[in-house]
Amino acid sequence: MLRISNLHKTYLKAVEPTLRGLSLEFPRPTIAGLLGPNGAGKTTTISILCGLVRPDSGTVEVLGADIRTDLERIKKRIGVVPQSIALYPPLSVRENLEYIGALYKIPGTILQQRIRHFLQLFGLDHTGSKAIRYFSGGMKRRANIIASLLHEPELLVLDEPTAGVDVQSRNLILQFLEDYHGQGHSIIYTSHLLEEAQQLCREVAIMDHGQLVVQGDPRLLMKDHGFSSLEQVFLHLTGISLRD
Amino acid sequence: MKKIIATFWNECRLFIRDITGMVLLFLMPLGLTIIMALIQDAPFREYQHIRFEILWLDADKGQLAENLREGLEETGQFRLIDSLDGRPLDTVAVKAAIQGGRYKIGIIVPRSISAEVVNSANQVANELGKSLGAAGKLPERPTRQATVEIYFDPVTKQAMKSALLNALDKQLTKVQAEMILGRLSRKMEDLDSTGVSQFNLEEKLQAVRLREFAAGSRKGPQLSSNSVQHNVPAWAIFGLFFIIVPISGNMIREREEGSLMRIRMVPGSYLSILAGKLLFYVLLGTAQFYMMLVAGLLILPHLGLPALVMGQAPAALLVTALAIAITATAYGLLVGAVFQTPNQALPFGAISIVILSAIGGIWVPVEILPPGLQQLAKASPMYWALDAINDLFLRHGNLKTVATHMGILSIFSACFLFIAGWIENYRKK
Repeated sequence: MLRISNLHKTYLKAVEPTLRGLSLEFPRPTIAGLLGPNGAGKTTTISILCGLVRPDSGTVEVLGADIRTDLERIKKRIGVVPQSIALYPPLSVRENLEYIGALYKIPGTILQQRIRHFLQLFGLDHTGSKAIRYFSGGMKRRANIIASLLHEPELLVLDEPTAGVDVQSRNLILQFLEDYHGQGHSIIYTSHLLEEAQQLCREVAIMDHGQLVVQGDPRLLMKDHGFSSLEQVFLHLTGISLRD
Repeated sequence: MKKIIATFWNECRLFIRDITGMVLLFLMPLGLTIIMALIQDAPFREYQHIRFEILWLDADKGQLAENLREGLEETGQFRLIDSLDGRPLDTVAVKAAIQGGRYKIGIIVPRSISAEVVNSANQVANELGKSLGAAGKLPERPTRQATVEIYFDPVTKQAMKSALLNALDKQLTKVQAEMILGRLSRKMEDLDSTGVSQFNLEEKLQAVRLREFAAGSRKGPQLSSNSVQHNVPAWAIFGLFFIIVPISGNMIREREEGSLMRIRMVPGSYLSILAGKLLFYVLLGTAQFYMMLVAGLLILPHLGLPALVMGQAPAALLVTALAIAITATAYGLLVGAVFQTPNQALPFGAISIVILSAIGGIWVPVEILPPGLQQLAKASPMYWALDAINDLFLRHGNLKTVATHMGILSIFSACFLFIAGWIENYRKK
C-alpha cells in the first residue's frame, strides 16, 4: 500500500532537514498510524505522498505507483483529509461537496447520491443551507472528511482528523474509519491522541527528527517495550523534551 | 471544461454570499467615478468656458486700450472689471486688490500709450512710403517707451498667466499691425493715379487663416477630452484594478484554510481550476467596468456634466474591457501568490494600484506629466488601458487601432501569470 525509501527533504531557507532518510512500509491494506512529536515530519511525509511537496531524494510508492511518474493516477485513488478545515466557510456543506465532486468529474446523479449518503452517515443531513462557518468544530471535521470521500478513494490519508472534536463526533469518525477499512480500503492517519491510535490502528510508525524510530503492531510494540500503553512506548522512544 | 464551469459557479456562489463585499465592489468605484468627474470638471473645462476676472485700469482712454479691451472680451475667457466697491479703479486699488488676493490679475494701461502706438505706426508707414516713392509724410516724433503693466497674484497658475499674456500679446500685435497696414494702404492709394483703391493690403495679408480639422479619417463627432471623457474611463479602469483585493484575499484565504491543498489534490491540471477563477473575475471586472461607463452615460448628465461618448466600435470596446479585466485579474493572482497574509497583500495591492494609476495617467493626463514620468507611464498597464479607451472614445479608433494596446496588456498579463506560477511552484520546494 505504501513504500517510502530513504526520503530526504529540506525546505528552502530551513536550517535543518525535515526528513532525513525516512524509510517505512505498509505492504497490505491496513489502518496505519503515522505518529510522532511536533516537527517529526509527519505532515511533510503526507504532503509528499500527495504530490504537494517535492522530495529532495528517495522514493515513494503509493498503491504500487511511483509519485514521480504516476502522480495523476495516485491522486485519483487517494483521498486526503487535511488538518485544517479545507472547505469554503461561506458555503453550505452541500455546496462545498457539489463543487469538490464536480472537480473529480463525478456524474451529477451519482454525486448527489453520494452526498446524500455521506451527509446521512455523518449526521449532517439536517444542516440544509447553513454555511460551514456556522458549524461546530465536530461538524466541520465531519464535513472535511466527507469532502475527501466523494470519489471513493482506495487509500484515505487523514491528518489529525479528530483534533478539537467532542467525544460523540470522535466516536462517529473512528467508527466510520473502522467500517471504511472493513470495506477493503486502506487508511493512513496521524494523531497526537495515542490512546485513539492504539485503539484504531493495526500498525503504527513512530517518527522523530525526520526518521523512523519504530514500526509495528501497537500491541506488539507495547509488549516488546514492556509498557501498558502506546503513549508510554512513544515517550520512551522519543523522550520527554519539548519540541516547540 | 467541467472543472472550469464548476469553479466559475463556485466563485459566483462565494461572491453572492458576501453581499457587503459585492455591493462595495460595485458601489465604491461608482461613487469614486462620479465624485472625481464632478471635482475635476472645472480644471478640465476649456479656458473659453471659464471666465477669469481681471481688474482693468484704462488710464489711456485711447484706441489701443479700447482695442485691447475688445480683444480680451472677445476671447470669452476674461471679464474685465473697471470699478471696485462702486469706485473707479486706480493704480493703488489695483495693486492692493491683487496683493490681498482678492483678484488674481490686474492690468494697467498707461496714459498716452495709444499715442505712442500711433507714432510708431506713422514712423513705419513713413519709412516704407519713402522707399516706395509715396508723397507726403505722417506726423511723427522720437519713440518713448510705454509699458502695459500686468499684475498677478502669486498663486495664479502658470497656464492662466500664459493664456492671458498670449491673448494680450496677440491683441497688441494685431492693433499695431492694423495701424501700420491702414497707413500703408493709404500710401498705396496715393500712388494709384485713378484714386480708386485696387489694393487692400489688410485683405491680402489675411489670405492665410487658421482652422481646426480632425486628423482621423473616420466619421464621428469631434470631441476633446473633458472631465467626463477622462474621468469615467480612467476611474473605471482604476476601480477595475481594485478587483485584485478580493482575488488576492481569496487566494491567501484558500491557502491558509487548506482548500487550496484540497484543490491541488484533484487529478488533472490546476490550470483548468485557475481558468475558472480567471473567467469569473474577468467577467466580474468587465461588468463593473461597463457599469461605470453606463453611469457616465446616464447618471452624470443629471449632475450637470456632459454625457460620456463611447465611440463607435462596441466590439473593440468589449475586447478592450476584457483585456483590461484579464490584466487586472492576472495582477491580483500575482499579488495573491507573492504575499502570505492578507495584511501583506491588501495594503500592497491597494497602494500599488494607486501608484500605477498615478504614473499611468489616471489622476491627470499623461501629457501634462514631466517628460521622465511620461516615459515611466508606459510601465503601467493602466496607461495602455486608458490610451486604448481614449483611442476608441476620442479618436474614433477600432479594433485595429487598439491592437498594439491589447498586445501590450496581454504581455503584462502573461508576465503576471508567469511570475505567479513560478512563485507557486517555488513554494512546493
